Amino acid sequence: MHAIDITNLDKVFRGKKGARVEALQSLSLQVGQGEIFGFLGPNGAGKSTTIKILMGLIRATAGSARIMGEGVATCAARREVGYLPENPSFYDYLTAEEYLRFVGKSFDMQAGLIARKSDEILRLLELWEARKRPIRGYSKGMVQRLGLAQALIHDPQVYILDEPMSGLDPIGRALVKEVIRDLKLRGKTIFFSTHITADVEAVCDRVGVISKGKLQVVDQVANILQRGVEGYMVQVTHPGGRSEDRFVEKEDLQGFIERSVAAHLAIERIEPKGKDMEAFFLEIVANR
Amino acid sequence: MMANKVVRTFYFAIPVLMVGYLLSVFALAGYMKSRPFVEKLGYIPTVNTMKVMAGDHKQFMGANLLLKVLFYYGGLAEKAENKLRIPADYPAMSRTMHAALKLDPYNMDGYYFAQAILTWDLGKAALANEFLEYGMKYRDWDWYLPFYAGFNYAYFLKDHDNAARHYRRAAELSGQALFMNLAGRYMRESGRTDMAIAYLDAMAKGARQESIRKVLNTRKAAFIEARKIELARDAYREKHGRLPGSVEDLLAGRYLKQAPQDPYGGRFYLAADGNVASTSGFSFAGAGK
Amino acid sequence: MFNIVAISLRAIFRDRVFHGILVVASVFLIIPSISSLSMRQVTELSITLSLSLLSFILLLLSISLGATTIWKDIERRYTYSVLSLPFERSTYIIGKFLAVALFLLLTTLVLGTVACLVVWLSSSIYPSERPIVWSNLVICIIFDALKYIILVSYAFLFSTVSTSFFLPIFGTISIYFAGNATQQVYDYINSPVSSSLPLFIKKGAVVLYYLLPNFSAFDLNINAIYGIALPVKAVVLPSAYFCIYTMLLMALATIVYCRREMK
Repeated sequence: MHAIDITNLDKVFRGKKGARVEALQSLSLQVGQGEIFGFLGPNGAGKSTTIKILMGLIRATAGSARIMGEGVATCAARREVGYLPENPSFYDYLTAEEYLRFVGKSFDMQAGLIARKSDEILRLLELWEARKRPIRGYSKGMVQRLGLAQALIHDPQVYILDEPMSGLDPIGRALVKEVIRDLKLRGKTIFFSTHITADVEAVCDRVGVISKGKLQVVDQVANILQRGVEGYMVQVTHPGGRSEDRFVEKEDLQGFIERSVAAHLAIERIEPKGKDMEAFFLEIVANR
Repeated sequence: MMANKVVRTFYFAIPVLMVGYLLSVFALAGYMKSRPFVEKLGYIPTVNTMKVMAGDHKQFMGANLLLKVLFYYGGLAEKAENKLRIPADYPAMSRTMHAALKLDPYNMDGYYFAQAILTWDLGKAALANEFLEYGMKYRDWDWYLPFYAGFNYAYFLKDHDNAARHYRRAAELSGQALFMNLAGRYMRESGRTDMAIAYLDAMAKGARQESIRKVLNTRKAAFIEARKIELARDAYREKHGRLPGSVEDLLAGRYLKQAPQDPYGGRFYLAADGNVASTSGFSFAGAGK
Repeated sequence: MFNIVAISLRAIFRDRVFHGILVVASVFLIIPSISSLSMRQVTELSITLSLSLLSFILLLLSISLGATTIWKDIERRYTYSVLSLPFERSTYIIGKFLAVALFLLLTTLVLGTVACLVVWLSSSIYPSERPIVWSNLVICIIFDALKYIILVSYAFLFSTVSTSFFLPIFGTISIYFAGNATQQVYDYINSPVSSSLPLFIKKGAVVLYYLLPNFSAFDLNINAIYGIALPVKAVVLPSAYFCIYTMLLMALATIVYCRREMK
């Protein structure tokens, strides 16, 4: 069973004056359990539309989607998911602690468990000091971290995170990446959307690129990075202590290393050179 | 720099504006006070419009209209005490009361006040009785309404049958025989004044509003004076076998110990048929004429 | 469901509107002194004023809370975070409605008690000729609350179809006036005075009379103020009408809301 299974999803919005906007066109996608999937696309590509359909906030025009085998737009499907909306906002008259209690109760968690998990998560996401203040007074980054907290509290199998890094400072981003990697270690599935390629490179197993409502490419991140490599910049040090940078062709790396060892050159650093994730992404988006 | 300049200008402007405000607010208050009653009442929409718009605030709106009339009338009564006479706008008051009673036909204040001002001041006892008979359909437990109506029929309209009918109803509702007696007494001429005194006494005792009580007590005082003259007149006739020519004759003959005072500022005189009357007609409105 | 009700009640209690209403409620304190201005019916006037003030406060509450609860959640994008939790939308909207209705009842309980105290105070200072029928007063106050709960369900229905707050607020206000007027208009249509009106207007008015809420049926002011006997039918029929009318409106509101797209 896939954690997320999307089949031939279509979504047509009716704009003003009856204009049809095809937000999604026969989108099919599977995310396996325990996988971290990056959903990459420019603004307006259909990322949020896909996620809102998964969460039952809007209905697909055609096609179907399942989460852990449950059809979307059912309580059973939502029960399996921790969802972080894009630019989230939460009842701002509540405190972080109260909000987490509300979410916990919605998932039928026991009061004692809610209290324990909530304390743990608030500390983890550095909201402990602010936990008794109304959300009204929180900074954008704090609200974003609370968004992650409320997705974590019931310890679901699947996480759907819509732009989880937005609105965070570098420390916050590092923290969120840490949390995602930790979830991965615990075998959770994470589906997150972003338009920042570096985030995908940093944490994802697989990536899907969406543009203009169509899924363009789905592939392993490692494959993409590997394919993009054209050669290597190798830094070697001569026995005399003089160091030197050399460009080595992709196919020649093995031979170069052998030759270097034979010539008593010390290899200090090997850096792949070529298209990175960003170049890959730009190429796909520009081509279609 | 710019901002400071602007702020300084305002520091200067605020005292000037304050003085201007004080001048204008007092002028406005003075004007609002001097407006005629109709204007003070403001525009009253038709009763049906009010009924539709008021929802469950009909009783409140009715009470509100009545309070407006009451404040207006109370203010006039107080001024009258200081001999400052402003003719009251009785028709407008009457119209307002009418609207109030349409909104809340149960409101006793309306009937009480209608009775208080429509009869003597306005000389519209028949209209007052229309109000009262409308009210009796609703306040079917209340003996005051037939009591007032009975008095109006007897004293002003001289309609004996209707008076008796209403007094009987009042007696039934209240369980008091007094009203039956009153019904009998007014047949005699001398009884009329007694009846009026008794009626005014009952009205004044039931009045919670100071200004209204004052008005009723003033009228009662006038009737008590008139009653004294009547008694003196009767004594004179007993002795001389004819009516005295004037109130002054009664004073000269020591039938009256002191000159009677009309609290309305009028002068008592004896009409050709011997009835006691006053140039004021027992109302401030009359005295002003 | 209880979770949503609790969280929404907390929202109302922490709202500034609620505090504003508390200030308005302080007007109750001056009712005894205003009532003493009456010539012959101090107690009756104190009941009149108390009922009007209570009704006014409930009107403000039902419009401000009823028309904004759903709209605010959409406007401030709370719906994304709340509706993705594992409960049905019907639970959400009915929970919200119950919270507002419960709050109105709570307000009615508190202010109704204050009103009764005010009336009792006025009547003890200036005893009235007409005995106060306390049961009538209590039923009248409860019916006031029921009336405004119907209004709230209209506000909810409007909120589910509209994306702005114009329709919920102004629609609810219109329903309030229309609901108060229907009986008057119906009586007029059925009186001989209206014989000159075209038939289609009369028919239209009759249709509207049966469609729009009939708030006059919930107006027991006369019975409360003047202690006029209250027939059993006047209590039972409006109560049944209230239950069915409210459930119907909320069923409609739920269907519309469940079909709505949270873009």
